[in-house]
Amino acid sequence: MATEARVVRPAKVSTWSRRRATMAGHWATFRASRRGMVGLSILVFFTVVAVASPLLVSEAEVSPALATGPLHAPPQVGYPLGTDNFGRSVLDLLIVGARVSLLVGVTAAIGAMLIGAIVGISAGYFGGTRIDAGLNALTNWFLVIPWLALAIALATVLGASLTNVIVVIAITSWAATARLVRAQALTVKERSYIERSRAIGGSHWHVVTRHVLPNVFPVLFANTILMVALAILSETTLAILGLSDPVAISWGKVIESAFTAGAMTAGYWWWLIPPGICIVLVTLAFTMVGFALDEILSPRLRQR
Amino acid sequence: MGTGLRKALAGAAGIILLVLALAGVAQAQSTSPGGEEDVILRVGVSADLTTDNVFAVSAGSDWAVITAEYDMMQKFAVADATAAPSLATGCDHNEEYTEWTCTLRDDVLWSDGEPLTARDVAFTYRFVIDNKIPQYKSYFPGNPVFTTPDDHTFVWTAEEPTFAPTMPPWVYIVPEHVWSQYDGQSLKEIRAVSGMNPVVSGPFMLTEWTPGQGFTLSRNPNFWGPEPTVDRVDYRVYTNQEAMIQALKNGEIDIADGLTPTLINSVSATTNITVQKVVSDWWLNLAFNFGGQGPDANPLPALHDLEVRQAIQMAIDKQAIVTKVYQGAATPGDTMIRPASAYWHLDIPADEEFPYDPAAANAMLDDAGYLDTDDDGVREDPSTGESFELSMPASSDTTGAVEAGEMIVGFLKQVGMKVELLPATDTKMNDYWGSGNFDMYIWYWSGDPDPNYQFFVFTSEQCGSWSDGCWKDPHFDDLYEQQRSMMDQAARQEIVHEAQRYEYEQVPGVVLAYPNWLEAYRNDRFTGWIPSPGADGYLLPTYNYDTLLSVKPVVGASNSGSTSIPGWIWLVAAAVIAGVVIVVIRRGRRTGADEA
Amino acid sequence: MGSRRYLVSKTLQAVVTLWFVLTFNFFLFRILPGDPVAVLARSEKLTPDDIARLQHELGLDRPMLQQYFVYMQQTLSGNLGESLTTTKEVKDMIGSRMLPTVVLVGFGTLFASYFGVVIGIRGGWRRGGRFDTTSQYGSLILYSMPEGWLGMLLLLVFSGWLHWFPAGGYTTGGLTGTARVVDIVDHLFLPLLTLTLGYIGGYAIVMRSSMIDTTHEDFVQTARAKGVPDRLVRKRHVVPNAFLPAFTLIFLSFGFVLGGAIVIETVFSWPGLGLLTYQAIQTLDFPVIQGVFLIASAAVILANLIADITYGYLDPRIKQA
Repeated sequence: MATEARVVRPAKVSTWSRRRATMAGHWATFRASRRGMVGLSILVFFTVVAVASPLLVSEAEVSPALATGPLHAPPQVGYPLGTDNFGRSVLDLLIVGARVSLLVGVTAAIGAMLIGAIVGISAGYFGGTRIDAGLNALTNWFLVIPWLALAIALATVLGASLTNVIVVIAITSWAATARLVRAQALTVKERSYIERSRAIGGSHWHVVTRHVLPNVFPVLFANTILMVALAILSETTLAILGLSDPVAISWGKVIESAFTAGAMTAGYWWWLIPPGICIVLVTLAFTMVGFALDEILSPRLRQR
Repeated sequence: MGTGLRKALAGAAGIILLVLALAGVAQAQSTSPGGEEDVILRVGVSADLTTDNVFAVSAGSDWAVITAEYDMMQKFAVADATAAPSLATGCDHNEEYTEWTCTLRDDVLWSDGEPLTARDVAFTYRFVIDNKIPQYKSYFPGNPVFTTPDDHTFVWTAEEPTFAPTMPPWVYIVPEHVWSQYDGQSLKEIRAVSGMNPVVSGPFMLTEWTPGQGFTLSRNPNFWGPEPTVDRVDYRVYTNQEAMIQALKNGEIDIADGLTPTLINSVSATTNITVQKVVSDWWLNLAFNFGGQGPDANPLPALHDLEVRQAIQMAIDKQAIVTKVYQGAATPGDTMIRPASAYWHLDIPADEEFPYDPAAANAMLDDAGYLDTDDDGVREDPSTGESFELSMPASSDTTGAVEAGEMIVGFLKQVGMKVELLPATDTKMNDYWGSGNFDMYIWYWSGDPDPNYQFFVFTSEQCGSWSDGCWKDPHFDDLYEQQRSMMDQAARQEIVHEAQRYEYEQVPGVVLAYPNWLEAYRNDRFTGWIPSPGADGYLLPTYNYDTLLSVKPVVGASNSGSTSIPGWIWLVAAAVIAGVVIVVIRRGRRTGADEA
Repeated sequence: MGSRRYLVSKTLQAVVTLWFVLTFNFFLFRILPGDPVAVLARSEKLTPDDIARLQHELGLDRPMLQQYFVYMQQTLSGNLGESLTTTKEVKDMIGSRMLPTVVLVGFGTLFASYFGVVIGIRGGWRRGGRFDTTSQYGSLILYSMPEGWLGMLLLLVFSGWLHWFPAGGYTTGGLTGTARVVDIVDHLFLPLLTLTLGYIGGYAIVMRSSMIDTTHEDFVQTARAKGVPDRLVRKRHVVPNAFLPAFTLIFLSFGFVLGGAIVIETVFSWPGLGLLTYQAIQTLDFPVIQGVFLIASAAVILANLIADITYGYLDPRIKQA
């Protein structure tokens, strides 16, 4: 494995260039993965939509107060995906919603990744000590408790705002990452060059940032991408239960308003189905990219 | 995975197959009409019963049950919810309005055969006062004394003139011989008394109750009034509104109570379903905060400026809220006395109302000097430098409050105000309300038909207690006192109207809408409903039980159109599962043979 | 002996986790803003005096630590307190909601894991084949669907358009005997389908990757080299070993299924613990939420313990450790 040769070549410059070469190699492998590329294209599309949404849709068009469309209208000229209970174009809502949904998903996943990485690396690095035992118990506990019940309780305590939704998702979903990272950190720690690094006086900080982190990073990265998918699903779930920000338009919120308006019995399919399809597409895309990365970055799954 | 597991799974699949087959058979059977001994009215409700203990009632269905079970001394009239004869045939007052004498019927028996007398009335009222029953004690102001010269005469003596006995007190009379044992116990113990197979005086009594699913009222054989046609009222609880509507369409229930407005479109097109938009007895309220509740109460000082409040009132399109939030099942609000109190409610003429006119509102704010000096789209108050950023909690437990809030955010943005909508459960709303930590909030008010209580909560002395946002206005306080001490009803009505108009003009809050309560019934199943109050009133017992006495089945009503899966689907499903089971078992055998 | 020590340590761990759950529950719900008595105050016109009286009756005015000990003692003796909104025993409320959830989650897990595992075995064994590709996309799509939305979709199609199934609830009411059971099954069908579909994808993915991992293990290669027929290699060597980690993950995912049940029960008004939790949180009915949390966490902890023990029993490597 390439990483194990690192100690032999201590020069910083060459490490960088080698990393760049590895990245390029990874990218080539990734490009060969059809699933990964399909996922990536979907993500690029939705990211462009999310970024460009202020140009595509004006604020008044998605304002409950000022929207002028007919109420609950099926798809028609001017409203390709029909309208909702406030007379807003569902297509406009989806365009604006892309921004919030992606934002929540990515931010929450990064939050969870940070917590998970810190806990996991600390636990793994101090493996076998009391710190590890304590962190491990904490991680286990968060893994055990039914996540949605906890999320609902926290969301109720904190109040329904976008920030809080992100915080809640991050708090309830870091544990799996922590466990994964801990395992990885443990194996890294066993490697001989870390012993050596410590023997020649490397500080904890040095060992963690120079040796553990870079080795854990690939797993962490793939895991975070997968986590975004989970975070978007979690936001949808919280929104359906009425615990997301009431003013921020997310795809989950569109589903929730269709649900409370009885879109199922009233047959407002144009209002209920499209936001779900958006969520499925984006979740799917993140998952596919994540799996593709996982196969590239974690050698365990690499074939032959 | 061994063959054992596979066999177990095959077995499970077999059981499912059996259940499905049974389902098919039973579904086919259940479509055939059943017997017709009892006349049963089937009611769909969205809230379960929590108790039928008169002193512990809280949720909607509780009231429905106790209203059918018990009598008030004087009931709410069918037409306008003023006092009407019931247990008492009438009440007279002395010259000073300090002593009221009521004559009770002598033919009323409790369901256990004991006679109902004036002592039961006096006991019930005394019980409420002595045990401080929160829901009811405000009906008995001024330390009244109750006496019973004989079994059929009840005397209410008050320290000062009062019209309390004919408001009338919304307290159901309970039997002394059942309840005296609980007198003096803690509120918790009193609330914990369960009322199955209760002793009642009304036409129906609770006989069955399966929490979470439904409850049944059966006829009280000793009822003193006319015999109802209906033998039983079956209430079914639908936590899911759509299931309730579907049940109504399928004929599983005859009437659905408390539909959400967003769903009426899905029933109003059906010819055999009639929707009753019940005249509103609550109102959606945008209350401004004036501060003074405590250290956390720091509302925007500019809200003290009448012009600011009027500008906000003019920036909000109430008709749009009615159309979009309530799908038309509401009327735009004006005054604080709800339209269901027809006698007291003042309907401000359209040309005297504040118009929806954001341009004029902007001009008013400009003229008053609240300009957007830093050009960020939000106005500033020149005297304090504070910008118009308003926090606005909205009760998520109140139908339409959060949605209306979403709209208000947009409306006020047009006039240079930035509103932060904070949806909150009623528990959290209480925190905002108690601490005064908000600029304005959206919640509701509802209450008695009589306006006294509603005015009371808006008086200055209610700051820190019932007042929404500590509005203090001496003139309004004065009007409140005037109507309270005016014993002549017609003269009191005039003061009540004046107070409403004054409050409307002063804008301590904005009455956003009077939402209708929605009931929908199968017009091909039952007829003879008696709405109350008035023609746009409730069809189901709410203020009184008269409707249950007169409702009767439509002649030739049939039971038809339930949800079912076409028979062939069941056959196909059964065949598929049978196939899967056979394949699994055979493969299990084959691999078993391989291993041997 | 090693295995007994393993058993004891795992059980002990479960007990500690449970204690942690109890403690956490207690403190989390004391931090919640919003005083339940204040809610009553608004709806029932209470004065400050009444409020103080009620607070005293509910024990909310006692010191935190004292409340904690009382809570622990009561909980351990099976007393979960009474609901603040209905004044009924939480134990009874949970009891009456237990069956619907057990039925939904139980059958849901059973079906989802069975079909997921079967699909995963086939896909993982013939990696890259047509079945694998198709089933993988299928699994991914199902995995990517929010359960609640999937439920709404099924409602729209089977209830809104086709009118084949009821739009929610537990029974139509007024039925007895077989007709009632059948009616319940009729109501159960869509929520169960939703839960099953919602988790098949995840299970299939897990089983598939476990299969792939195992296929590359030495003993499998050895068996193949020895000329053992392919089907027997799969049956005797790969599946049993691949099933183990998948089995653990299925048990570990029990908490997620419970979470899914909360949403699905809300969408279908299925009157189980999930709907009860949702309703209780709406009114901040602390004892009910605590009770449901406790039951749900205990169920998940138990599921984990079973997974651990079974794993230890089935995997000789762990027993020796």
